[in-house]
Amino acid sequence: MPEAPALPTSNVEVLCELRQVDKEFPQGKGSPLQVLKDISLSIRPNEVVALLGPSGCGKSTILRILAGLTAPTRGEVLYHSAPLSGLNPGIGFVFQSFALYPWMTVTQNVEAVLRAKGLSPDEVATRCHRAVQMVGLSGFEDAYPRELSGGMKQRVGMARAFSLDPEMLFMDEPFSQVDALTAESLRAEVLDLWGSENRNPTSIVMVSHDIKEVVFMADRIVLLDASPGRVRTVLENGLSRPRDYRSPELLQLVDKLHDLITGMEMPDQAAPQKGATFEPLPAAGASEIMGLLEYLDSRGGQEDVFKIASDTGQEFGRLMAVVNAAELLDLVDTPKRMVVQTAPGQRLVRAASDLRQSLWRDQLLKLRLFQVVFESLDRQEKHRLDRDFVLETIALNLPSEDYERTFQTFVNWGRFGELFAYDEASEAITLP
Amino acid sequence: MATAGGKLESGTPGGRLTNVFGAAFAVLDRSRRLVWTDLFLLAGLGGLVYGLVHLARQWTGEMRPAVEIDLSLRALPGYALLSLSRGLAAYLLSLAFTLVYGYWAARDRIAERVLIPALDILQSIPVLGFMPGVVLGLVGLFPHSNVGLELASVIMIFTGQAWNMTFSFYHSLRSIPKDLTEVAILNRFGFWQRLTSVELPFSAIGLVWNSMMSMAGGWFFLMVSEAFVLGDKDFRLPGLGSYMSVAVAKGDGRAMAGAVVAMILMIVALDQLLWRPVVVWSQKFRLEESGQTEAMTSWFLDLVQHSRLLAFASSLLRRLVPEPAPRRPRRAGRPSRFRAPASLVSLVLFLALLALLAWGAVSLVALLRGVPEKTWSGIGLEALLTLARVLLATVLGTLWTLPAGLAIGLSPRLSRILQPVVQVVASFPAPMLFPAAVAVLRALGVGLGLGSVVLMLLGTQWYVLFNVIAGATAIPADLREATRIYRLGGWQRFRELYFPAVFPYLVTGWVTAAGGAWNASIVSEYVSYRGEVLQTLGLGARISSAAGSAQFAVLAAAITVMAAMVAVFNRLVWRRLNVIAEARFSLSR
Repeated sequence: MPEAPALPTSNVEVLCELRQVDKEFPQGKGSPLQVLKDISLSIRPNEVVALLGPSGCGKSTILRILAGLTAPTRGEVLYHSAPLSGLNPGIGFVFQSFALYPWMTVTQNVEAVLRAKGLSPDEVATRCHRAVQMVGLSGFEDAYPRELSGGMKQRVGMARAFSLDPEMLFMDEPFSQVDALTAESLRAEVLDLWGSENRNPTSIVMVSHDIKEVVFMADRIVLLDASPGRVRTVLENGLSRPRDYRSPELLQLVDKLHDLITGMEMPDQAAPQKGATFEPLPAAGASEIMGLLEYLDSRGGQEDVFKIASDTGQEFGRLMAVVNAAELLDLVDTPKRMVVQTAPGQRLVRAASDLRQSLWRDQLLKLRLFQVVFESLDRQEKHRLDRDFVLETIALNLPSEDYERTFQTFVNWGRFGELFAYDEASEAITLP
Repeated sequence: MATAGGKLESGTPGGRLTNVFGAAFAVLDRSRRLVWTDLFLLAGLGGLVYGLVHLARQWTGEMRPAVEIDLSLRALPGYALLSLSRGLAAYLLSLAFTLVYGYWAARDRIAERVLIPALDILQSIPVLGFMPGVVLGLVGLFPHSNVGLELASVIMIFTGQAWNMTFSFYHSLRSIPKDLTEVAILNRFGFWQRLTSVELPFSAIGLVWNSMMSMAGGWFFLMVSEAFVLGDKDFRLPGLGSYMSVAVAKGDGRAMAGAVVAMILMIVALDQLLWRPVVVWSQKFRLEESGQTEAMTSWFLDLVQHSRLLAFASSLLRRLVPEPAPRRPRRAGRPSRFRAPASLVSLVLFLALLALLAWGAVSLVALLRGVPEKTWSGIGLEALLTLARVLLATVLGTLWTLPAGLAIGLSPRLSRILQPVVQVVASFPAPMLFPAAVAVLRALGVGLGLGSVVLMLLGTQWYVLFNVIAGATAIPADLREATRIYRLGGWQRFRELYFPAVFPYLVTGWVTAAGGAWNASIVSEYVSYRGEVLQTLGLGARISSAAGSAQFAVLAAAITVMAAMVAVFNRLVWRRLNVIAEARFSLSR
């Protein structure tokens, strides 16, 4: 499976394209948060493109920029080779949260978007009827969304998108809030509709964090990296359709993606000297880190990261954050795809609870942020610091991080080791 | 009135008075003789038409500043109808104001910065603050007919209704979930479609609950709005409020009792025939999937929906009104929230508003300059006295309503019986009970200094009770079970579960009650009773007497001080408490 360039060679027709797009969101303190950096991506006719990446890599933002819902901070958005101004006219959009109007019936939800297009009442009715039938909702025309299960709701979402007969179908984590079995059938149905000749949508762009789903559905897989979101690599998936989840080729591709992701998310090169610079804190709770250690301890101290994900039912992006946090604290090591308990990690998990706290504290104080805050606390006469002081320290030294979230993790870890106490009402950190 | 917008919607208790009526009407329903329903509706329609004609005659009639009030009981229904129509007219005005003002504030980022603080100030100005300007202006505009005076009365009721509805609508518009907005933007919903299929439905529930509150708040000053003295001029419009005023002045006990009964009947009828059906209907705009376990019902809504006449009429209407012609699809373009003409209109309106505010501020300062320093210090002292009374009334009210509200809210049986009663009592305008209360206070030898606290309580404690009940019903069953399993004692249960759990509701109740108490100080520190005027030292008494003797500069000074006190207190105390309540004690987080 060759790696394909993100930009097509010039003679291929392109429906929609991003060129060197950056996106920043303003933050209250410090510099704006960069969520996307130098994204170049094109959507060609007759393909399914999947954007895959950990949470916080800006997948949904890319989709919204392509749709014209959000404007990029820098860079170009092209639609049929012309700059896109305003909304993308050729798309249907399926939302993760369904985004159905709860006060409208199935029919009314679909008709609302058709009426907005200015179609005649007859046309509206015909198209609505056809779309409802297409997704297998006949008989549910007069039901309200609250009467439907998650899977049925997403069918309404899809009927709404299909009714517009869109050139491209954009789907933002369409099946993540749908039960597993229904998701299975929805995937197949979407592919059936897309696969039939001379019919819209010609192309599908979907956002997902489910590796198997992506391999099952996509022709091209855009693998994204987090903070800020960048295109890591683009994978061509030439497996013939219909695809079989158990075929060796498919499993091989899944395996390759696993390697790519672990290489990206759990890099093997030696980390820089701890405490020398400020390390970003992965958003994982202390109890999740302890849970990971317990898990490893009961399995001989090591396990494949994807096995852990499927064993615990954790979303992969979340598990990555936990593994990275544990690695940052020197509690685990990650050669290739394995997660291996380190000596301090083993000591910590086997220690009695009071000893646990002091061991945890030792690990925390190897990190620069904790060192700085702890020293300031110690120096203060009342051993008391304002939340704002810490927020500023984070914003100043980790400009590309979301400082509110980093602060939450900071407090969570610090409290767990009783390194300090935090009072939410007075927003003050104190020594215990 | 300093009422809290939108907060109630989460836990507003559903009335169960419905069931009683429901049972009675089920007989009719079961017989399937729907002709009765239709006859009933027809009679209602006839009554409505008669009422409108009656009202039109009154409005366009010759100018009579102070009409003679007929104190016979037979005259009561007519007067009640006139008051009702004024209340409804004021409500329609409030609704129109809410839609325009709330929409503008939510959609125009620049105007919002002026509109919302302005609304905050407006809601802290008591009704009497608007009276002189409104009355003199409108009477001057229509010197020969009753229209000016009627409009003035309607606008005074409006000032007791509009603000919390506007806040609710504004907050709803600002909190529409992002994905629902995105669907509208992506599919290029036009202004009208966006309003009718996204914005209004999403705001509906909050708007309906606040409408009920507003209607109740509007009645509070009914007596003042229909019968008032401005300097040497005595204004009186025919209506339930003025009927009560005259009955009090003449000491006619039978007429007073009649007016109270008529008021109660009017409130119950409004609740059953208007609000209950609207509330039940508005449940279709709920956002959450689950929540309410018991579906609310309205016998009147069922009745209307079963009517053959109505079905016929609506099908006729559908045939007569043609389908709207399809719009031309808009061309692709930036999803502008405001297209050019709209933003121009908005800008012009905004500048006009700024000019109006500037002009108002300048003329207020000019007016206030004429107030001698001694009066200012007097007003300051009185303001502190009234503040003390307001706080005392809030504390006293809480002392009994907290345990009572918990007892009612925690017992499904009690809340089923008492909740609708509390709702009616809360909507009843307390000033109508003042004469009786004053008589009792006099017999006990209590002066108006303390007595006015009791009078304030009469009007405002219900808001606290109402909210505590709502809070108590919303305590999750698992938390209550946990206190039982771990054998927490009564006091510990109260301190550790019930009080924290109802605290957010309590704060809402306090804000509403304190706002109401400030307003009530105007009528409770200065009471006319059997032809004489009782008063005590206080800001409310100062406002009443200044209005009565047409000392407009003093009136403006007192009102400004009151509005400032209310606004400052809201910001410094209630808002902080609210933040604490949301952060620490909210059960929905």
